[in-house]
Amino acid sequence: MSDALPTVERIAPREGSAGARALRGIARRPVAAAGILGVIVILGASIFAPLLAPYDPAMQDLSRSLLPPIWDGGSADHILGTDPLGRDVASRLLFGARNSLVISVSAMLLGSLLGLTTGMFAGFYGGRLDSLLMRVGDIQLAFPFILLAIAILGTLADRNAIDLILVLGIPGWIVYARVVRSRVLAEKEKEYVMAAKAVGATSLRRLRRYVLPSVWQVVPVIALLDVGFLIMMESTLSFLGLGLQPPASSWGLMLAEGRKNMMISPWLSVLPGLAIMATVLSINLVADGLADVIDPRLRKGSFRRRLLRTQASAEGAGGDRPSLLAVRDLSVEFPLSDRVVQVVRDVSFEIRRGETLGIVGESGSGKSVTALSIIQLLDSPGRVTAGQILFDGRDLARIPDHEMAALRGRRIGMIFQNPASSLNPVLSIGYQMAEAMRRLKRVPVKRIESECRDALRSVGIGDPDRVLGQYPFQLSGGMNQRVMIAMAMTAQPDLLIADEPTTALDVTTQAQILEQLHEITTEQDTSLILITHDIALVAEHADTIVVMYAGQVCESGPASRVVSDPRHPYTRALLESVPRAELEAGVRLKAIPGELPDPAALPVGCPFAPRCPSVMDVCTEVNPPPFRVGSRHSAACHLWAPEMRKEVVS
Amino acid sequence: MTEPLLEIRDLHKHFESRSGRLFGRVKTVRAVDGVTLSIHVGETLGLVGESGCGKSTLARTVLFLESPTSGEIRFQGRQLKEDEATRLRRGAQIVFQDPYSSLPPRMKIRNILADPLLIHRLVPDDQVGDRVRSLLQDVGLSPDAETSLPHELSGGQRQRVGIARALAVQPTLVVADEAVSSLDVSVQAQILNLLKDLQAEHRLAYLFISHDLGVVKYMSHRIAVMYLGRIVELAPTDELDAWPLHPYTRALMSAVPSIQERTGPRIRLEGEPPDPGNPPPGCSFHPRCPMAQPICREETPELKEWLPGRVAACHFALETTGSTPVEVQTDGRQAESGNGP
Amino acid sequence: MVLVVFAVVTIVFFVLRLTTGDPARLMNPPGTPEDIITQTRERIGTDKPVLAQYGEYLWNMVRGDMGTSFRGDTPVREAVLNAVPNTLSLAGITVVIGAALALLLGGVAAWRPNSLLDRGVLAYVALAQATPAFWLAVILVLVFSLRLRWFQAIDLTGPKSFVLPVTALVVTLSPVLIRTVRQSLIETMGEDFIRAARARRISERRLFLVHGLKIAALPLITLIGLQLGFLLAGAVVVEAIFNWPGIGKLILDALASRDFPMIQGGVLVAAVVFVVLNLLVDQVYGLLDPRIRVHAR
Repeated sequence: MSDALPTVERIAPREGSAGARALRGIARRPVAAAGILGVIVILGASIFAPLLAPYDPAMQDLSRSLLPPIWDGGSADHILGTDPLGRDVASRLLFGARNSLVISVSAMLLGSLLGLTTGMFAGFYGGRLDSLLMRVGDIQLAFPFILLAIAILGTLADRNAIDLILVLGIPGWIVYARVVRSRVLAEKEKEYVMAAKAVGATSLRRLRRYVLPSVWQVVPVIALLDVGFLIMMESTLSFLGLGLQPPASSWGLMLAEGRKNMMISPWLSVLPGLAIMATVLSINLVADGLADVIDPRLRKGSFRRRLLRTQASAEGAGGDRPSLLAVRDLSVEFPLSDRVVQVVRDVSFEIRRGETLGIVGESGSGKSVTALSIIQLLDSPGRVTAGQILFDGRDLARIPDHEMAALRGRRIGMIFQNPASSLNPVLSIGYQMAEAMRRLKRVPVKRIESECRDALRSVGIGDPDRVLGQYPFQLSGGMNQRVMIAMAMTAQPDLLIADEPTTALDVTTQAQILEQLHEITTEQDTSLILITHDIALVAEHADTIVVMYAGQVCESGPASRVVSDPRHPYTRALLESVPRAELEAGVRLKAIPGELPDPAALPVGCPFAPRCPSVMDVCTEVNPPPFRVGSRHSAACHLWAPEMRKEVVS
Repeated sequence: MTEPLLEIRDLHKHFESRSGRLFGRVKTVRAVDGVTLSIHVGETLGLVGESGCGKSTLARTVLFLESPTSGEIRFQGRQLKEDEATRLRRGAQIVFQDPYSSLPPRMKIRNILADPLLIHRLVPDDQVGDRVRSLLQDVGLSPDAETSLPHELSGGQRQRVGIARALAVQPTLVVADEAVSSLDVSVQAQILNLLKDLQAEHRLAYLFISHDLGVVKYMSHRIAVMYLGRIVELAPTDELDAWPLHPYTRALMSAVPSIQERTGPRIRLEGEPPDPGNPPPGCSFHPRCPMAQPICREETPELKEWLPGRVAACHFALETTGSTPVEVQTDGRQAESGNGP
Repeated sequence: MVLVVFAVVTIVFFVLRLTTGDPARLMNPPGTPEDIITQTRERIGTDKPVLAQYGEYLWNMVRGDMGTSFRGDTPVREAVLNAVPNTLSLAGITVVIGAALALLLGGVAAWRPNSLLDRGVLAYVALAQATPAFWLAVILVLVFSLRLRWFQAIDLTGPKSFVLPVTALVVTLSPVLIRTVRQSLIETMGEDFIRAARARRISERRLFLVHGLKIAALPLITLIGLQLGFLLAGAVVVEAIFNWPGIGKLILDALASRDFPMIQGGVLVAAVVFVVLNLLVDQVYGLLDPRIRVHAR
């Protein structure tokens, strides 16, 4: 009954607890590590202030007023000098650190506790509670709380630390509440929460066991940044005379005193500020590092074209057949932080003028990367490492940037999978079409608009004026894709690459779009490369099929033959595992056992060997090259090696 | 005829959305607009339709994961009200589409599978571990998967865990909401076969939902076709295949790419899929229908039994030889007429 | 919007009453004989029950009368309305320069992420974000006014006197703006539609400046709205240091001299102006983002 392997293959290595991961992550980032060091120093200073301080910070000695620090002519008695009342600056700085931290951390805890609970419950239970909370939050955010804080503190008869903590901490709830609430809302919609409901979990259980573990990670980073912010706020208020009252030690108070004596003792103004800066900077660096560890921004590919500089192999350098595009032994790799992933290996195929070539493969097959390599739009760090991409006599992997830029769009066009995300959402259709037209066609400015209209009509859009004025989000997927096709065909390119153009569309829309593609490419005699995971689709729409698996071509040949007489075991297995209308009732689909291979850990030999029903010893040792199995039909399988064929009855 | 396991009568689920301003217009989306169907013990009812037709909403509403706006839901003969939903939870479960978001990312597989057992107190605490391991084996996973976190497993493996979770309470009905749509083709067949085997072993009934007609045909005894919140056709699988009554069904079947040679002409639908918040009057399919007549715009067709065991919601269900091409109510283009066998 | 202003007005009234207790007692030094306090009470109108006071307060607001200052008998309204433009000019120039700096530095950094230039910008941002506004202002005064004598240290005396206060504000406000623009640009440039546009032969420069910036500018506007509170706090402090005749200094002075009507008036007007600005920012955002503008139709 089970089609599974005896053991589960781990996809990713075990990681350990969240705390350990965080620390390891930060250790790898030197800047964040410096921040941690700073935080430790400050913490140490504030905790051990009584031990470290050479003097009592409140002890006055008017005979030693305003002494300079040691580098400005002072003595070792008071390394950092004294203030107007003769109190030791170093001691006051240390106790100031303690006061700042105590107040800020307490205020942060107050705000975060309030915010976390309200945000969680508001987000999860929604309804009136949520609306009320959000209204209150809106008003509070619109309100300059600083004014109220100033007014309240300024009019309080007798200020103490508790008052400061309350005034600074309570308004902070909204920041935490908003963030937590939006995280909860996002997680609540995910299917696993609904699954928990289906399984019978009460709402409290869902909140506690399912939602909360995915939500709380945002809080530490915000809390850290909040502490830094609060330290600044406390200092500012103390500076204005609205915070801690003398004789308490506070960096803000010290700065206020220093300002009065700026001419005589400038260092009094500088040192407390440096203390604030150092503290807040350290905290911010740690927060940044932590944020990066928790949620590494996987930068979706920036683009930098990497030219292939190695010499091309001499074999078959163009000329023998009138093919429009010939890909020879293409190899592409993606270097990651700890390993190199070979995404495409020794891929070769050709396409003639006016022909439609279908590339079929599942995830990890390398079909999209191959397409991007042809038009030279690989996301970095991907790069072509070997092979040739011969287009019209030129090797696209080796020609300079400006030559490629001249070809791109004009001679080779490309449309992508998700039409909604292939257009800029804040620019109108008309704007983007006109922009494309200016770049791809020599059209006088006056005629651009009518050209755009014609282009839209050519892809079956009956009311182009309305569409031109709209934005992508206002159009359906099918419409957007038609717009993409129109733009790509503007310059009447020789080759159009369509990367899963209909995967994101409904079946009935898919049929429309494919028909449209067929019409327009036939009309303009454009060659079409159609990339998809659906073998039935290429069977119906392509002249030639290339089947890819794990970065390699396993079979290629005329569509009708590949589908009716597949030679590679993978092709055959694929055809047998797709439910088809023609299957009689009771006949079982033949599933392919096992999993798709991990591109970073491909086995030696044929990549399909672990799952192949016809596997032989040689398959796990040698990776088979393509062998000819018919006119323009080849299969990369040892079954078809010349030596084998003598024994196999064809 | 034995009593159906699940029976839905005139089920409605409407969503309201404000246009954004404080006193803006309220738009009602009738995601499920009067659905009646039944599923029998051990049978698979397939539900097929494109995006926006309401099939996922139907799946959730049937299990009270969304509150029904109106209508009757009967399970094992008893009509259920919303507060009795917990009765349903032991008998009916669901498997979701996205293997990446249908498992809680920070829970070990062991705990994910143990939770339903603990909630319903199905086994004594000391036997929970054994039961979890045996569930894993039932779905073709090795018992050492229990210590893994979801992101350490592949899509197919995660989907198996989702199935195991549904089986934990030993239900009699499982709703599979696009359960294989996000999987690679070579893995899809594994899961489909697993579902079939489990059905045979445990006498499970399935409500099998998918946009993929081929998959639905493979899995189902009967198929329901859904369009804009309504069932437009319902028939046993092979009969639907041989002779679809509703023009939408025919267009759908024609649009699916096929490896074999085509029999009969292609039916290409014109125009855009409809907006669920602003449905066309009368028959909701009429703007795109190659056979539309004036009556289609005025009168909404009821789901009628045109042949024994076969229902369709169309005024002209039996007229497969309609030869007159008709003016279609879209942007003024002629549509091809669909000529059946 | 009217609702929010009303809410603001009410909040100011009640919060101040709550925390200050008896304003009459507050305004007189401790130890003042009771009859003087009663006199004070009559003078500022706090001898009536609270709700009556509230009603009177609202009625006065509608008429534009905010009472008279306890010190010097000048009408509160006049003093406040004179001060507001000064604060607005300071804040306005800061926002304009800050936004320009954000687009410039953020853009330069995002053009080549992880380059030397990018790292330099990030280093500046990290340092600037940790710099307290009031300290920077003091240092600026120390260096440029006292030591170098390039600028006057106090008062609003013409365009040159804007330089130091605005510098202090810009340095503390801009880091978060720069980071946002940079992050937004980097993310946008990695989006699918940028790659699709590249396939249509749109140049890198145009992709960055037109497609990228247009999208990245949106979060900048939202952020400016969110930072208005922070900006106000900075303005208060800067006004105190530079003796700038704005609303912040007005309130601080009023606090120091226990001038209750002035405190109330100042806080009220500042709050209302602030709220109105916030709503304006929202409107601007709605106009610029077509996804919102179109749906509102």
